[in-house]
Amino acid sequence: MNSLVVKDLCKTYVINKRQNNVLRNVNLEIKEGEMVAIMGPSGSGKSTLLYAVSGMDAPTAGKVSFFGRDISSLNASEMSDVRLDEMGFIFQQMYMLKNLSIYDNIILPAYQSKHGKGRERRAKINCRAKELMQKLGISEIAENDINEVSGGQLQRACICRSLINHPRMIFADEPTGALNQQNSREVMRELNRINAEGTTVMLVTHDMKVAAKTDRVLYIEDGNIKGEYTFGKFTSEEETKERERQISAWLMEMGF
Amino acid sequence: MFFRILKKDLKRKRTMNFILLLFIILATTFLASSVSNMMAVTGAVDYFIGISKVPDYFTIALTDGTEDTIADYLESNREVAEYEVVDTFNVTDDRISILEAADEKADKYERTNTLVIQAMPENFMKAFDREGKPIHLKNGEIAFSKVEAEENHLVVGDRVSIRVGEIEQEFTIAAITKDVVFGSPMMGIKRLLITEEDYKKFAKQENLTHTNIYCVNYADEEAFKADWKKQDFNLITNIEKNLVSMCYVMDMLIAGILIIVSICLILIAFLVLRFTIVFTLQEDYKEIGIMKAIGMREAGIRGIYMIKYFGISILGAVVGLICSFPFGEMLLGQAIVNLVVENAKENYLVHVLCAAGIVGIVLAFCYSSTRKLRRFSAIDAIRNGSTGERYQVKNSLKLWKRKRMKPHFYMACNDILSAPKRFVVLMITFCIGTMLILLPLSALHTLKSDGIISQFSMSPSDVYIDMGHGDAYVAGKKVEVIQADLNELEETMREHGVEAETGADVGYLIPCYASDPEELYNYMTLQEIGSWDRSYDLLDGREPVLANELMITEITAEEMGVSIGDSVYFQYPDGVEEFVITGTFESMMNMGNGYRVSRAANLREEYMSGVFVLQAEVADMESGEAYERIKDIFPNYKIMNAQECIDGMIGDITKQMDMLIYAITGIVLVINSLITVLMMKTMMTKERGDIALLKSIGLRNRSLRSWQMSRILLLLVAAILLGTLLSKLLGPVTVGQVFAMMGAAKIKLRVNPVEAYLIYPLLLLAVTGVSAFLCAGGVNNVDVKEVNVE
Repeated sequence: MNSLVVKDLCKTYVINKRQNNVLRNVNLEIKEGEMVAIMGPSGSGKSTLLYAVSGMDAPTAGKVSFFGRDISSLNASEMSDVRLDEMGFIFQQMYMLKNLSIYDNIILPAYQSKHGKGRERRAKINCRAKELMQKLGISEIAENDINEVSGGQLQRACICRSLINHPRMIFADEPTGALNQQNSREVMRELNRINAEGTTVMLVTHDMKVAAKTDRVLYIEDGNIKGEYTFGKFTSEEETKERERQISAWLMEMGF
Repeated sequence: MFFRILKKDLKRKRTMNFILLLFIILATTFLASSVSNMMAVTGAVDYFIGISKVPDYFTIALTDGTEDTIADYLESNREVAEYEVVDTFNVTDDRISILEAADEKADKYERTNTLVIQAMPENFMKAFDREGKPIHLKNGEIAFSKVEAEENHLVVGDRVSIRVGEIEQEFTIAAITKDVVFGSPMMGIKRLLITEEDYKKFAKQENLTHTNIYCVNYADEEAFKADWKKQDFNLITNIEKNLVSMCYVMDMLIAGILIIVSICLILIAFLVLRFTIVFTLQEDYKEIGIMKAIGMREAGIRGIYMIKYFGISILGAVVGLICSFPFGEMLLGQAIVNLVVENAKENYLVHVLCAAGIVGIVLAFCYSSTRKLRRFSAIDAIRNGSTGERYQVKNSLKLWKRKRMKPHFYMACNDILSAPKRFVVLMITFCIGTMLILLPLSALHTLKSDGIISQFSMSPSDVYIDMGHGDAYVAGKKVEVIQADLNELEETMREHGVEAETGADVGYLIPCYASDPEELYNYMTLQEIGSWDRSYDLLDGREPVLANELMITEITAEEMGVSIGDSVYFQYPDGVEEFVITGTFESMMNMGNGYRVSRAANLREEYMSGVFVLQAEVADMESGEAYERIKDIFPNYKIMNAQECIDGMIGDITKQMDMLIYAITGIVLVINSLITVLMMKTMMTKERGDIALLKSIGLRNRSLRSWQMSRILLLLVAAILLGTLLSKLLGPVTVGQVFAMMGAAKIKLRVNPVEAYLIYPLLLLAVTGVSAFLCAGGVNNVDVKEVNVE
């Protein structure tokens, strides 16, 4: 089954009475359990594409089908429910609410969901949150404020938050963009693990090391997908170098 | 570059700049109108006395218009610098007919008190119209006392006819007066004013009852008073200029409330200003940091903000200044209805100075806030002033510990607890608003409470009756006349099948001293008559029983330096009579001064000054039923319940306070709504990123609205509770002090719990809640993409 099917997607901004066509008739499909990276030069429309297909931004034209549902036809409340229960988001800037502890930030979407009401359900949510934090190695920062932890820890906390409601698909906008190499590796390890557990992942990146750990890379330029490179499943760190070399060559071919 | 940055800033941050502008307008309006009102109100009574030309001393006496011994005395007295005898004549209800009235309710004329007609005063005790302007009457025109006009539903333009003796004349009401002495609710005589020419037509007739007012300005106060005491004139009352202000103690209660309102508005203005400036500058920290990082000088950076704030504050101050005139006048007009106060426009300089002050304060806040930036490095400023180091957990409220609480409600609680400073302005504003309503409400409820009649030296009864014989009692000086009226009342009621006991308190004005016969006190002595035998509230001791016993008010006892067990002496021209003090009481009659003697005491009738009201206690009937029944039996008498009787004594102060409380409630609701909307807008502007983030993780608009609203409602509930508690604590030292000035220092303030603790709080919650709900709708406009715009 396809997680995401995008048909003739267009997005146009009007700035100072000038029309700017950021996405032009984009078509793509992402299968369930697949991990896809979007690459391309600055201003090519990578993030716009991510936000448009995830329902964060309304497309100007075209159709986005998320697990068989046309999300462009959903109203604001229905879209909120989809985001809450079926999607997870990870941002480059690791946004979290400043007034809440790391732990409370993580469990907030779960408590908000319709499955988060009642003593027993909330106990289960807490178990899951602790399990996730343990898996991602950030148990010790649970009660910290968001400005008391490193960028890598914060991004892993964001991943925990995105996973707390068992999403069917994760959307990540440059998830390692603000991290150092070590933190970046750790975050990608977690995303690969999540993907290996069956969650579809779509991410935007500039980093070839990140792209090398995905199943497929889409190259976008001038608002359109110009090509794709399929690796197959990423299984071990040893493959990284070779995949990186391959993708580098392909990107050069694409003119990146 | 400097101006390009400034221009860009003004354009890009127009929401925040607009909010700042609105707050400056609000602060200027509040400050200028409040300071001006405080000045007008503080000296209002003195101002009114001054422009009305109240003499140093005046006395009122009944005459037949033939001989005038008092005038002869004043003429020959060297201690009198100047005097004037103002002639008036008395009229009864049946002498006045309503010919034409706008209000359908106006029908048969009923006077509220002793009523006199006087020619328009030229020198002393002038009267003014409702706008505080001098009155100029033409022949055929009449100026009506406010109390009389309201009681009879008359307004300017209505026509009445007055028939006295052989003369009958029609008059058009040209003005409703503000009358410093006779307009006071505490004064038992009310006057209608006509032209000198019209007056002479009536006054030249014989057999009229004249009430003369003797106005005296001293040459030597002490010498005059000493000599005056020795005279044996037959007087109704005598009043010193400094006592006139005490007639306005109820208006001062309202003026006092207005001053409290003004102080609160000023406080709100400053709090709001400080909050907005600090808040808007925090918004700019990041940019200030960037400017620092690229090497701009601090003076240059500060200059940008100083110029920006100067421009906004000038614009806000000018608009606020313009708004402050109508706002101040509206507030003052609602509150001060009996006094003539200085026009706000005459205080324009105060308004301008306040507006200039606001500009100065804005710049000072701006200067001090930008000075703080020196301490920050460029990167600290970029981090919005946060160093990133924090060693304490912000708060103990944890979402995971909440087993049932909804997340949006938790977030609201958490926001308040983790950054209480942000909400302190709202909290204080709401709290002040609650107190502004509850404090005057406790004064009103106390005045309307069942037990209040006891505070006026009376025993509560089912009905209070005015047969309209007050003048006859004073003129006749015979207790048996009053007793005969009481007997007649009882007899008539019995004939109609109503068994009732009747009684009255007869007042005497007998000079009294404690130890020094030269130091005389002329306060009212009350004595109960009638078929009933009531007990009266005491503070200490017991009621007088024997002929030579009395109880005394605490204020008089303190003034005379006596206590229970001591003696006081009533001084008559031919000797003194000793009374032993058996108890103390308090009373709001005569500003807390007076005595009460037992039924056994033999007081001289020539010192009788009158009876305020006759009372009846009906057997086997509830007060309400008795009131209705007796009204039916005596359609020609004025039958009153306790509240109407109080209103008769102190004027329609309860109605006036009702209106004031409605006005204050309206103002509080507007301020609450305005501050709520502005604060929410301010916070939502800063929280757009958070709102977008919460949207991105799936929170619905409804939840986000609830989050924003819950914060406001939580604060409001807390502020209402705190305000209620503070009102309870501050009641005795604010409202209680006004009652103490009137003689009831130990009065227990009452509140109607349903009104004070349910209706008004619910009203505050409903109106502020609706404002918060409408404003929270702004979350719908936050795009989820704005998560990237922090």
